[in-house]
Amino acid sequence: MKILKIIYLVFFLYLICFETSSSYAQNLTLPNLGETPSRAATAKEALRKDAVCTGCHDESESAPILSIYQTKHGVRGDSRTPTCQSCHGESEKHVKGVAGSGGRTAPDVVFKKGVYAQSGDKERSSQCLTCHSGSKRSNWDGAAHQNNGVACNSCHQVHRPSDKVLNKVTQTEVCFTCHKDQRADTKKISHHPIQEGKVTCADCHNPHGSTGPKLLKKNTVTETCYQCHAEKRGPLLFEHQPVTDDCTNCHTPHGSNITPLLKSRPPFLCQECHDGTHASGTPVGPNATGYQGGLAKTNPSGAALFPSKNIVGRACMNCHSQVHGSNSPAGGYLQR
Amino acid sequence: MNSYNNNFKLSAIALAVLSSLMVMPALADEEEAAALKKPVSTVELGVLNVSQDSAKFGEYTGLNQSGGYAIGNVNIRGGSAYDLNAQGGTQRWSIRGTDLGLRSRSVGASLSDQGSWNLDFQYDELKHNLSDSYMTPYVGSMGGANFTLPGFGLVANTNNGMTAAQLAAFQNMDISTTRKNTALGASTVINSRLSLNFDYSHLDQTGAKLMGFGIAGVAGATGEAVSILPMPTNYKTDTYSAALNWRDGPGYASLTATSSIFTDRNASVLFQSWAGATGMQNMPTAPDNLFNQLNLTGGYKLSARTKFVGNFSYGVGSQNVPFVTTNALLLSSGTPSSLSGSVVNTHADVKLIDQTTRDLVLSGAYKLDDRDNRTSSNMYNFNAISGANTANYPNTPLSTRKALFELAADYRLKDNQHVRIALTHESIDRNCNSFASGGGTTYLTTSNCVVAKSSADNKLDATYRLKTSEDTTLRVGYAFSDRQATVDPYALAAFISKNGAIPGPVPAVNPTPAGQNAGDYFGFYPFFSASRLEQALKASVNWQVTEQTDLGLSARYTGDRYPDSTYGVQNGKTWSLSADATYNYQENGALNSYVTQQYRQRDMTNLQRYTVTASAASATAIGIPATASWTNNLIDQDITMGLGVKHGGLLAGKLQLAADLSYSLGNAAYNTMLNYNGATTGGLTCSNATLLSCGQLPDIRTLITRLKLTGIYQVDKSSTVALNYLRQRMDSNDYYYNGYQAGYVPSTLLATNQTTGSYSVQVISASFIHNF
Repeated sequence: MKILKIIYLVFFLYLICFETSSSYAQNLTLPNLGETPSRAATAKEALRKDAVCTGCHDESESAPILSIYQTKHGVRGDSRTPTCQSCHGESEKHVKGVAGSGGRTAPDVVFKKGVYAQSGDKERSSQCLTCHSGSKRSNWDGAAHQNNGVACNSCHQVHRPSDKVLNKVTQTEVCFTCHKDQRADTKKISHHPIQEGKVTCADCHNPHGSTGPKLLKKNTVTETCYQCHAEKRGPLLFEHQPVTDDCTNCHTPHGSNITPLLKSRPPFLCQECHDGTHASGTPVGPNATGYQGGLAKTNPSGAALFPSKNIVGRACMNCHSQVHGSNSPAGGYLQR
Repeated sequence: MNSYNNNFKLSAIALAVLSSLMVMPALADEEEAAALKKPVSTVELGVLNVSQDSAKFGEYTGLNQSGGYAIGNVNIRGGSAYDLNAQGGTQRWSIRGTDLGLRSRSVGASLSDQGSWNLDFQYDELKHNLSDSYMTPYVGSMGGANFTLPGFGLVANTNNGMTAAQLAAFQNMDISTTRKNTALGASTVINSRLSLNFDYSHLDQTGAKLMGFGIAGVAGATGEAVSILPMPTNYKTDTYSAALNWRDGPGYASLTATSSIFTDRNASVLFQSWAGATGMQNMPTAPDNLFNQLNLTGGYKLSARTKFVGNFSYGVGSQNVPFVTTNALLLSSGTPSSLSGSVVNTHADVKLIDQTTRDLVLSGAYKLDDRDNRTSSNMYNFNAISGANTANYPNTPLSTRKALFELAADYRLKDNQHVRIALTHESIDRNCNSFASGGGTTYLTTSNCVVAKSSADNKLDATYRLKTSEDTTLRVGYAFSDRQATVDPYALAAFISKNGAIPGPVPAVNPTPAGQNAGDYFGFYPFFSASRLEQALKASVNWQVTEQTDLGLSARYTGDRYPDSTYGVQNGKTWSLSADATYNYQENGALNSYVTQQYRQRDMTNLQRYTVTASAASATAIGIPATASWTNNLIDQDITMGLGVKHGGLLAGKLQLAADLSYSLGNAAYNTMLNYNGATTGGLTCSNATLLSCGQLPDIRTLITRLKLTGIYQVDKSSTVALNYLRQRMDSNDYYYNGYQAGYVPSTLLATNQTTGSYSVQVISASFIHNF
C-alpha cells in the first residue's frame, strides 16, 4: 500500500511541477509557439467570428446569450473553445438573409424552441459530441438517454453562467424533470441525502451512457456502492450471496418507507430467500408488533409469553447482524 | 451673420445634447453587456433558528438541535479569463463555501488556466444523525470500541426481570456518523491529443451505527441474548486515480489506474455480557481492504457511419487482516490466521454502431463481468450465539460470470417517429472455486455453493417515440424478459443442515444434506436468482399547451412472476402514475405542481418449519404444525405531491416571493395467511392473541409535510436580504420500535427505547447577501 501511495504522490507532484512549469511556460513563452497563434490573437479572432452573431444577439435578448462568456465555452484565449457558429452552424442564410423570404431563415442548428423550430435531438447532440466525445461520453450512442430522444441541451444550459445540472444543489431538479419516481422516492423517510444536496444523481450515474446497468458510473451495482461504502467491499471470509451479487437485491437506493433503504421489512425480507432452519420458515403476523399489537402476555398454560426477538425490530438481524458478510472464523452464521 | 452665428451656436448645443443622448443608451448597453459577461460573486451571512431538537429532521442537514445557527455561503470567482477575455486571458479561480455554519458544510477552491491545467480542492462534511432516542445501560462512548456494564450484574429476563438499579442505568446516547471528505484534483493538457488527470480523495468517517450484538452462550447462558450497541464507523478510505487521455481524429482512449484503500481504525468491539457471565466478548469490525483497478476505454470512428467503442477493466480486491480469534463463539482456531482473500474483477465490453441507412441505426454489443473469487476455502469450527448448533463449516468463496449480448435497431419511421427494438441475452454462471472438508464432515464434491448455479435471461425491449408537433412528445415502451435458472437442490450454502438436523420433509434422493440454501424446502428459491418472467410497460406525454403552460403525464408498470418457485416469492408488481403542470402566468411569476402515486406488491408462499406447542414462552411460531403453508403479501403505496409558486417583480422589481409545499405519504402493509388444521393445535387459531402468527400487521405509515416560504428583497444593486420560513412535520407509526421499549422487549434483548423520531419543526432564517 505504501508503495502505491508513493507512486501516486510522485505522480501528483509531477503534475503540480508540470503544471507550474507549464503555467510559467504559458506566461513566458507560450504566447507564440511556432505556428500556434498567441492567446490574444486567438481571442481576437474568436471574438471577430462571434461578432457576426453578437452584432444582433446582444444584451437585449431575453435569453442571456452573452453570459456564455462566463462559462468555459466563452474563454476566447483557449483555442479549443467554440465560437457561436461552431455550434449553431455557419447559418449563412440566417446571417445574410434571403431576399423575399419575409424574414431571416433559421440558423443551421436550433437548440431551443422559439421563433424557429428546434433541430432534431441527434443533430443537436452531434454538435456537442464533435468536441465532447471522450471517455465519459464514450457510451452515449445506444444508451438510454440517447434512445429516448434526449439531447445534450435537454439537460445542459450552455449559455447560463451556472449550468443547473452541473451544480450539486440543483442537479436533481433537472433529472427529476423526467425521473418522477425517483423524485418521489427521495422524499421518503429513508433516503440518501439527495434532496439535501449532499449526494447527486451523478455521484452514482453517468447520464452520458455507461458500461454498468442503469447508467451506473461503475461496471456493476456493487462497485458503484463501494465508492462510499468501502467497508462492505471485502473480500470477506463468509460472504452473503445477495450482497456480493447486487446491493439492490435488498436495498432500494433512491428512497424507502423502510429504514435503512430496504425493499422490505425483516423478517419478511429474509424470508424471501430463506425458508430453512431456525426461524426463517416461520409465519409472522401481528406478533411482530409485540404486546402493543395485541400479543397476549401469557400463554394458555398461564406462563409468561414474550415477543420473539426473531421477529421484532431488526428481527433476524438482531442476532445475524453481520448480514453484509463476516470476516470472523466464528462468523458462518453471520453473528460475528 | 449674427443670426447665422446664433443658429450655429444653437445647432452646436443641440448636437451636443443629441449626441450625449445617443451615447448614454449606448453606454448603458455596454454596461449591460459587460455585466452579462462578468461573474457575480456572492457572500451570504445570516442566522437561523430551529425550534425543536430532532435527529430525524436534522438527519443530513446538521440542524438536529434547537437553537441558533450561523448561515454562511460564499461563491467568489475571478481571473483573467473574465477580466481580459478579449486579450486572451485564460486563468480562472473560484472559492466556494456552502452551509459553513452547519455540520453539512462544504468548502472548495479551484484554479485553472483553461486549455493548460486545472487544480481543484473540495472539502465536504456530512453528519448523519441516526438517533436521539437510543438508550443503553452500557458505559462507553458513541464511536468507541469498549462497552462495559460496571456493577450491572446478570439479567435473567430483560422483559420483566430487571432490577430498579439496572433500569436506572439506562442513559441516552445520540447516535450519528460523520463523513469528512477531502478531495484534490489536477489535470493538465499536454497537447491537443494528450491530457492527464489526477484525483485523490480522503474520506474520514467517525461515529457509529446501531447493530445487534449477540452474546455468546457461555458460562451458563442459554438461548440467544442480544444487546443493541453502537458499532463504530471509524473508517478512512483513500482513493487515488490517475488517467491518461488520448484523442486524435476519429479515435480516443483513456487509461485510468485507480487505487482505493479502506482502513478501519478498530479491529473489533469489546462488550460485556449480561447473560451467563459478565465477561467481555468480542465483535469483529469491517476489515481493512484494498482495491486496485486498471481501466481502458476507447472508441474509433471506422467510417462516417460506423463507430466502435470498447471498455476493459481489471481490478483486484484483497484483504488479509488477522482474524479476531478472542471470540467466545470460536471453538477451534487452528485454521489460517487471516483470509488472504483475493477477488479479481474483470470487465470487458465492445459495441459496434452503424448508421446503416439514413433512417436505420443498428448496433451490436457484448459485455462480460467476471468476479473471480480466488480466496481459499478452509473448515471453521464455531457455535451459534445460542451456544448450540455447533458448526464445522467451510467458507464458500463465490465466483460469478455474467455475459450479455445485445442487438438493437433504431428505425426512423418518419421525421417525427422512431421505433427501437433491442434483444438481449444475459447468462450468469456461479460457482465456488473449492470446498474445504474435514472435521468429521464430508461434503458432496459435486455440490454447488449456491442454489441457482446458472441462469439465462432473454429480453425484448421495444420503444416508440412520436413527436406529434413542436409541442407534444409521446413515448411508449414495452419490455419482456424470461429468466431461466438452472438450480442445484443439493447446494451447500450457509447454515446447511450438516450443522443441525432440520425438522420437516427431506428429499427422497440423497437426504443428507436435507434441503438447500440453509435447509430450504425443495421448490423454494431465493427470488433474486430464481426463474422469472417479467413484463414492463411505460408511457409518457409531454405537452406544451400554450407558451405559458406545460403538462406532463407518465405511467409505468412492471409485473414479475416466478414460475418455478413452488415456495418463495411468487409474483410482484409495481406501477406508478405521475402528473406535472407548470404555468408561467407572467414574466417573473410561475406556478408548478406535481403528483406521483406509486404502488408495489409482493406475494410470497412458504412452509412452516417447526411443530411448536402453544405453551412456548416465545410467540415465534407456537401452535403451528410443520408443513403448513403460509402466504405473505406486501403492499406498499405512496403518494407524493408538490405545489410551488414564485412571484417576482413586486415593489418595483425588488421583491421576490416564493412558496413550496410538499406532501409525502408512505404506507407499507403486510398480511400473512396461514393454512393449517386448527384441530392439531388444540383448537387455537393463528389469530389467537397467544399466536398472532397470521393476519394483517399494522401499517408502516409515514407522513411528511413541508412548507417553505421565501422572500428576497434587493436593497440595491449589490445587496439582497433573504428571509425564509420552513415548517416540516413527520408523523410515523412504524411498529419497528415496539419491541425495543422497556417492558415490551423479548426476554433476552436489552431495551433501547428508540422511537420513530416523529417531529414538527420550524426554522426561521434571515440573511444578507452581498453581490460584487
